[in-house]
Amino acid sequence: MTGEEPLLSVRGLKKHYPTGGGLLSRSSGAVRAVDGVSFDVGRGETLGLVGESGCGKSTAARSVVRLEEPTAGEVIFNGGGRAGASRNDDGTHPNDVTRFGRAELKAFRRDVQMVFQDPTSSFDPRMSVGASIAEPLSVHGLSDRGRRRAIAEDLLERVGLSPGDYGRYPHEFSGGQKQRLAIARALVLNPDLVIADEPVSALDVSVQADVLGLLEEIQSTFGLSVLFISHDLSVVREIADRVAVMYLGEIVEIGPTEAVLTAPEHPYTEALVSAIPTVGPGGKRQEIELTGTVPDPSNPPSGCRFHTRCHAVVQPEGIDLDQSAWRRVLDLRHRLEAGEVDLETVRESIRARTDATGDLDRSTLGTQLRAEFGLPETLSDPVAERELAGSIEALLGGDADAAAERLASTFRTPCEGTAPEFTGHGGGHRSACLRHAPDVPSEPE
Amino acid sequence: MTDEPLLRVEDLTTTFETDAGRLVAVDGIDFSVEAGETVCLVGESGSGKTVATESITRLIKEPPGHIEGTVRFEGRDLADCAEPELREIRGADVAHVFQNPQDALNHCYTVGWQIAEAIRIHEDVGRSEARARAIELLGRVGIATPGARIDDYPHQFSGGEKQRVMIAMALSTNPDLLVADEPTTALDVTVQAQILRLLDELKTEYGMGVLFITHDLGVVSEIADRIVVLYAGKVMERGSAADVFERPSHPYTRQLLGCLPGIGPPSAGGIPGTLPDPTDPPEGCRFAPRCEHAVEACFEGGQPEAVERSPGHRVSCIHYHDGYDESVLGEPPTRLGLADPKAEEDTRTGGDADDG
Amino acid sequence: MPPERFDRIDWEEHAGSSGFSASINTVAFVLTALSVLALAGYDRLFAAERETVFGALARDVGVGPRFESLGIGADPGALEYLFVITLLLFVWYLLAPLYQNPRMTRYYWDRFTRNRPAVVSLGWLFVVFAGGLLGPLLLSAPQQDVLAGHQPPVYLSIDASNVARCLGETVGGRCHGTWRYPLGTTQAGEGVFRNVVYGMTISMQIAFITTTIVAAIGITFGTVSAYAGGWVDEALMRFVDIVLSFPTLLFFLLILYIYGAGLGMFILVFSLFAWGGTARYVRSKALSIAEEEYVDAARISGASTYRVVRRHVVPNTASSIITQLTLLVPGFLLAEAQLAFLGLGDSGINSWGQLISAGRSDLAFAPWIVLAPGIVLFLTILAFNFLGDALLDALNPKTEAERGR
Ligand code: SF4
Ligand code: SF4
Repeated sequence: MTGEEPLLSVRGLKKHYPTGGGLLSRSSGAVRAVDGVSFDVGRGETLGLVGESGCGKSTAARSVVRLEEPTAGEVIFNGGGRAGASRNDDGTHPNDVTRFGRAELKAFRRDVQMVFQDPTSSFDPRMSVGASIAEPLSVHGLSDRGRRRAIAEDLLERVGLSPGDYGRYPHEFSGGQKQRLAIARALVLNPDLVIADEPVSALDVSVQADVLGLLEEIQSTFGLSVLFISHDLSVVREIADRVAVMYLGEIVEIGPTEAVLTAPEHPYTEALVSAIPTVGPGGKRQEIELTGTVPDPSNPPSGCRFHTRCHAVVQPEGIDLDQSAWRRVLDLRHRLEAGEVDLETVRESIRARTDATGDLDRSTLGTQLRAEFGLPETLSDPVAERELAGSIEALLGGDADAAAERLASTFRTPCEGTAPEFTGHGGGHRSACLRHAPDVPSEPE
Repeated sequence: MTDEPLLRVEDLTTTFETDAGRLVAVDGIDFSVEAGETVCLVGESGSGKTVATESITRLIKEPPGHIEGTVRFEGRDLADCAEPELREIRGADVAHVFQNPQDALNHCYTVGWQIAEAIRIHEDVGRSEARARAIELLGRVGIATPGARIDDYPHQFSGGEKQRVMIAMALSTNPDLLVADEPTTALDVTVQAQILRLLDELKTEYGMGVLFITHDLGVVSEIADRIVVLYAGKVMERGSAADVFERPSHPYTRQLLGCLPGIGPPSAGGIPGTLPDPTDPPEGCRFAPRCEHAVEACFEGGQPEAVERSPGHRVSCIHYHDGYDESVLGEPPTRLGLADPKAEEDTRTGGDADDG
Repeated sequence: MPPERFDRIDWEEHAGSSGFSASINTVAFVLTALSVLALAGYDRLFAAERETVFGALARDVGVGPRFESLGIGADPGALEYLFVITLLLFVWYLLAPLYQNPRMTRYYWDRFTRNRPAVVSLGWLFVVFAGGLLGPLLLSAPQQDVLAGHQPPVYLSIDASNVARCLGETVGGRCHGTWRYPLGTTQAGEGVFRNVVYGMTISMQIAFITTTIVAAIGITFGTVSAYAGGWVDEALMRFVDIVLSFPTLLFFLLILYIYGAGLGMFILVFSLFAWGGTARYVRSKALSIAEEEYVDAARISGASTYRVVRRHVVPNTASSIITQLTLLVPGFLLAEAQLAFLGLGDSGINSWGQLISAGRSDLAFAPWIVLAPGIVLFLTILAFNFLGDALLDALNPKTEAERGR
């Protein structure tokens, strides 16, 4: 960022939900939905925040506006006549939203508004849409009914509906129209920042384009800043100036949309980009498959949180494997550690395939186990192969813990030890991956 | 055509009696699905695509619904089938996967029990065998450690996993036709890609026909062999995936394509207007009120006769008729997408190297 | 003046004003309710024992016996004042909003009228309501007249030996009914018709007052519980458990035996122990509404919790508990009738139950005394049930959302 003060500046934002207490909950820790997120939104800029569901992007946005109380961090908002403030002597910032009192918070909410995802639930079914749009005005003390109505009618027109829709009810509108209404409601207080939480993901593609177009138009007309949250990179590409990619409560890559999408630096972003459907027959995309599922956010993986699924996960010194085989071995290791490898299933699938009955010998089982995990018959690296074979032996011998330990001692990626720092790629494009750290090979084999 | 396709739908018309009058949801559409191919029905919500598929196995409640036309499935005319027979077909031969797996799974039973039960309804197998098959199926659809997950309840699965479970359930009876109604719309893009790939693999493996319904041409391009574009209950364009994506001909198809992110000028602004009132469809071409190329003749008579542009690629637009000039429609939208197509090429090859 | 635009508002101008403005309905309700209360207070303090309040008022204001000449000779008691206040609530918070939002009203009305039996039920309940409201003003209370006992309804006849004095024609040893008593008379010679009409008043009083009490306590408990959360929620809900498991009937009998109990006590006791289910329902509904995005939208506009609850949560729960309340009323009506039939009711009132109970000994030869109120009671209960079901369908937000798509 340049010297100019951003409109919104989020630093180290955290939101943890305690899970302890209940008799039935396994862990008594906290779900770390958002775990130290920092980003800026400049004036008139659109920042896209992307990630899979459950990565904490919505929670982050809701914490910014304090629909959820953040656990830690700073949210500095310089809009609405707050520009140019400098830090107090004790290091706190006068524009820190997390420290706002009741009155300040109410004033702040005049400057930040939200558009929500679900068009069916974003309007009170018992209120006319005009009244819903005008409600924020009366909350903030505009008591003149006629003025409220005039403003709402003007807005209805602006978002492509007619003033005559004022008295109609939400059920009379289609999903796309309701999203237009939601945009009108978000505008009514003339905010500086609009947070759009998956505003188009519930809509048909043809309607999506419509609503995105409106949002873009409104933004440029009124010089709004937009924080746009979506799981769909192709939508974000349409509208965002910059993109921040979130994984498991952390931002892993951030930068100008163009740069992030055409030259993603973080393996996770690569995978996301490769999942964008490309239209046109024949050329089915070369897609990067993410193995495994999103880990439990109450117990995130150590080091780089993506290492349990990363296709580019770094190999340690002394191991030289085909990257996909390396990934698979790690998968086997994680599953063993989680106690999720069930030999009975392996046996059953052999029986189902070969009609074999009775006891199965170890080599058949071993082969099948490798096949299930997509491992080759033998690994190319003899040291690695020895350890893997030894571990499978132990597993078949009934000692799953020893098997897991043996794998863990050899197949240990640097990624699980060190949490990667951000590396710059120029032009404000940064990503957090060990491959960019100077002492690690930047591209795996 | 000498071979009877797996499914052939001819002149299917489904209407509903409502307070507001007779609602024509599907108006005389035809399509067929061969074994081992994926046919996509594409259209906006309200275009009648779901009703069309539900009419195949008569899932529509009659009355108020009313279905006309022929539906031939494996040589049988489903219109002649009695309800018990239909029920048998629905369970065993034609399987459905819906948009919201959480609505389709019963939350009171474990998923293993539900799959095993589906198997046992249609086949005379023992409890333990059904269970073993259920485990195998869960493994097949990509649930890790199926043996451990089989006794889990639906809420213990993530959205994508639930959809996998639904697919496993649909496969449990070895169906010949899989009807997938927006199965990926409620899912994340990454998960969507996985599910699409899974469906594609299963299609080949089981030799099933797949009838795939979606509003998203992006998804269609991933999976379709043939495409049927529906608008307001009528077929606008049909053809192979190559036909439709390389030579999109109908104005509606072109506009739909233009709506896709990355195609056409940025924020083309969707398709102006809304679907016509199904209780009172417009005269002439259904798309006429929203079509930028409409001429006077488009507002008269019925839907224009479909013109065959190349074998199997048929378009219902008046500009392809004799006496009209199709060039007024202009060039079909091309992939503009990212600023520099070259740069994109590079990353894609880069991605290949990573994956290898 | 330039057209109003959202980006031209000078918020400094409005800063500090709370945005509080009572709705016109609230103002109207408060004014009307205050005048009723004033009347009640005047009644208590100034009107003499044997004097009607309107008589006293006429005398004090000096308008002479004009009220009596208008037919307003009623002398309301505490129950009647309460009834009037609940009626005002009904008018200002249910009927007036329906009138003020004609679009919404027409929408629900269209959905409601799809259900024919429900429309008929509504018609019947309107008759009962109107009868209950106007009857006592137009008809004087049934008078005892032992000589006129057991008169048959019009067009029916009875063996003359059962009647002390036949008011109609006696043909062939059978006494025929007259228009003076269209539904015949009881043993004591009270007109059954008048009794039934006066019974409507009682039934409407039961219906309105219980519903109001149940709704008021239920909504308050439910929303407070949902919004306070934590130990408050826990405590309130345990209290609801206690209320729900309380043996209401036994408690009522106890009071009855110790202190004696009239209709007012009946209504009070039964409605004070009937709101548990409503509170639970409101709580769960309020919790689910709190998840709705429009609540988030209101909060992020700066609306206080109180405003969110009042403007969004209560209206949305209220419209769905209407169904539940409608289905509660038949229970109260039946309970009253049963108690009356067992002789445990308030013998000072003309309820349908009292009438049935009075006629049961004469069932053999004068069945109308039981049948007339019995049928009316049956139809009323049926109507409430039909109405409840139809409202459930018409107000069900789920079908609404589907249609909205
Ligand atoms: S740090 Fe390692 S695991 Fe994390 S993204 Fe980079 S290569 Fe993958
Ligand atoms: S027939 Fe006319 S209205 Fe229909 S698509 Fe062709 S040009 Fe448009």
